Amino acid sequence: MRISKLFINKQVADYPSTRSIQSRLNVPSESVQNARQVYAAISRAADPVQKGKEVLYLTRNRGAFLKKCPGTSHYTCCDYQILHIGTFCYMDCTYCVLQTYFHPPILQYFVNHDDLMAELDSVLSQKKVLRIGTGEFTDSLIWEPWTDVSSLLVQRFAKQNHAVLELKTKTTAVGQLKNLAHNRKTIAAWSLNTKHIISTEERATASLSARLKAAARCESWGYPLAFHFDPLIIYDGCEADYAGVIEDLFAHVAADNIVWISLGTLRFPSSLKPIIQNRFPDSKIVYEEFITGPDGKMRYFKPLRINIYRKIIACIRQHAPDATIYLCMENDEIWRKSLGFIPDTVGGLPQMLDQSAVRHCQLDQDVSC
Amino acid sequence: MLADVDSDDTTFCITTRTEPDDLVPSIRKLGLMHAPVLKQNPPGYIIVCGFRRIAACRMLGWTQIYARVLQRNFDFSEMARLAVADNAMQRPLNLVETSRALKLLMAADTEKEVLAAAAAELGLPLSPAIVPKLEKICDLPQPIQKGILANAIDLSMALKLDRFEPGDGQALLGLFNHLKLGLNRQRELLLLLEEISLREGIPIQQLMTEKPLKDVLENTEIDRSVKRQKVRTYLRRRRFPMISKAEMQYKAFVKQLKLGSNINLMPPKDFEGMTYTMTIRFDNQKELKNSKEKLEKIIHHPDLGKILDG
Repeated sequence: MRISKLFINKQVADYPSTRSIQSRLNVPSESVQNARQVYAAISRAADPVQKGKEVLYLTRNRGAFLKKCPGTSHYTCCDYQILHIGTFCYMDCTYCVLQTYFHPPILQYFVNHDDLMAELDSVLSQKKVLRIGTGEFTDSLIWEPWTDVSSLLVQRFAKQNHAVLELKTKTTAVGQLKNLAHNRKTIAAWSLNTKHIISTEERATASLSARLKAAARCESWGYPLAFHFDPLIIYDGCEADYAGVIEDLFAHVAADNIVWISLGTLRFPSSLKPIIQNRFPDSKIVYEEFITGPDGKMRYFKPLRINIYRKIIACIRQHAPDATIYLCMENDEIWRKSLGFIPDTVGGLPQMLDQSAVRHCQLDQDVSC
Repeated sequence: MLADVDSDDTTFCITTRTEPDDLVPSIRKLGLMHAPVLKQNPPGYIIVCGFRRIAACRMLGWTQIYARVLQRNFDFSEMARLAVADNAMQRPLNLVETSRALKLLMAADTEKEVLAAAAAELGLPLSPAIVPKLEKICDLPQPIQKGILANAIDLSMALKLDRFEPGDGQALLGLFNHLKLGLNRQRELLLLLEEISLREGIPIQQLMTEKPLKDVLENTEIDRSVKRQKVRTYLRRRRFPMISKAEMQYKAFVKQLKLGSNINLMPPKDFEGMTYTMTIRFDNQKELKNSKEKLEKIIHHPDLGKILDG
């Protein structure tokens, strides 16, 4: 997808990152006083969500760069830290919750990297085991063609031994990672799905095979890897298709280089349903058997979730019996019936993932608590 | 001469009542108290106001009437305003008539932004927010307009039905009419049918000819309220097969527990979560003691384990 226009907040017009992005993008730009002017321009479009993917707003992050993952009530959260480098995404996944997050959603990138690095330095100096990722409010690597943010972060994380950075993506934009001294403190991670879902529900994303090849390249450069089967989407024949994805995955990468594999079935706030219906009338994903969970989100009826989790976990275990597999936003009952244990029995989900990071990324274990 | 009046030109017709029977007795007795308004349209006239009055006169076998005749170059917007005021000032207009009135005002170059105010001046007070919806009504297919006039569907449902393929919209309207459904039930069934149709890529019309549904709808032996329930149950099972199955299974297990009328066991909503709720009703200590004994049995009942294991 092509960025057709840059909006630049006046306050950041002279920032080095701003100038660099301007020269690399080479599209018309407009100076604005505040985000409201950008929102107004986007809101006039027939499809503001689509329009929000075609413009890029460069601004300062005036809040915290590091945030705790919002998680959701009543379900087990992994205690992840989000590094807030920007928002939204130019890829166009049907189920993307970011379509409802912002008002309206716009591709927005924070150029005040000095503030970002200062905050990161402060957090990393605490010498706590932390799992930090940039792929929560955006895709981690969509920024690669225009920015150096990943290089900056990978090299910063390489200089410490307590925290890992996870770059989560559906792209293949890994070229800039090649020659970086990463010290295995950056995990290259991909969201995976079946070829059917990628072609029908994940517009403008890389194919499965391209994602796996990119993962293999990162592995060859020494990066530890992670994979996220999230969202798992139920459709006729999905079990065989997901089994095929798992076969492909382990044909490309070594099981013992995978730090974790997460599984999460499709879930969404009810406000996303009409957006999907309007923007993607051919999509059928919202017409499966959903219930409203205690957190207010729509999710598949429990037996359906347990069934798909069990099948996928069994497939993964065939290839990687010792892999750290976890469920994203599920309760103890689902954990027990799908994975055979509940997080509390291994010290809790955060501890379980910290330990896997310690093992795979050579973190200093003694400070883990 | 009445023979010169073209009643087929309905440019200014707002009323949805076509039969003039109710006017005939009074016109016969008192004559035409309010002269219709005609416009010269050589060689004859078209009607601006008084479609039903002229029809009544024809029914009485009259050949001549007194009428106010407008010149052929009379301003269209003035005639539109006359037609709207003539109708709106004498009776409340129904939704289709209101829509026709708005269309006339729009045809008379009334700006959309001031449509509500223009209508109000002519005795048709409307909220500006509803005008965009109302103006569409008179363009809806006739069966849907008839559904509105018969109060079988409301405005929002009419507009929703119009978004379907014509066959689907009319099939739905037929279902609502057949079952005499209130708005909430209409919405519920529509959602079920629409989502099954979208999920499986089959037209709603085809869904409604599925044997179990057809059998219920064509059964003349069962009461309408029973039909409603059966249709709802069938569609819900069709839309949510796993959830419906779990609900039935739960009911079967609970039945095995023989809870009696004083104890009620509620599963977590949609079987999500793990917390079940039990309520015990009692009027005296004896009843409570009986329930306690029953509870002891329930706790050890194998079907309770099945329920709790999901």
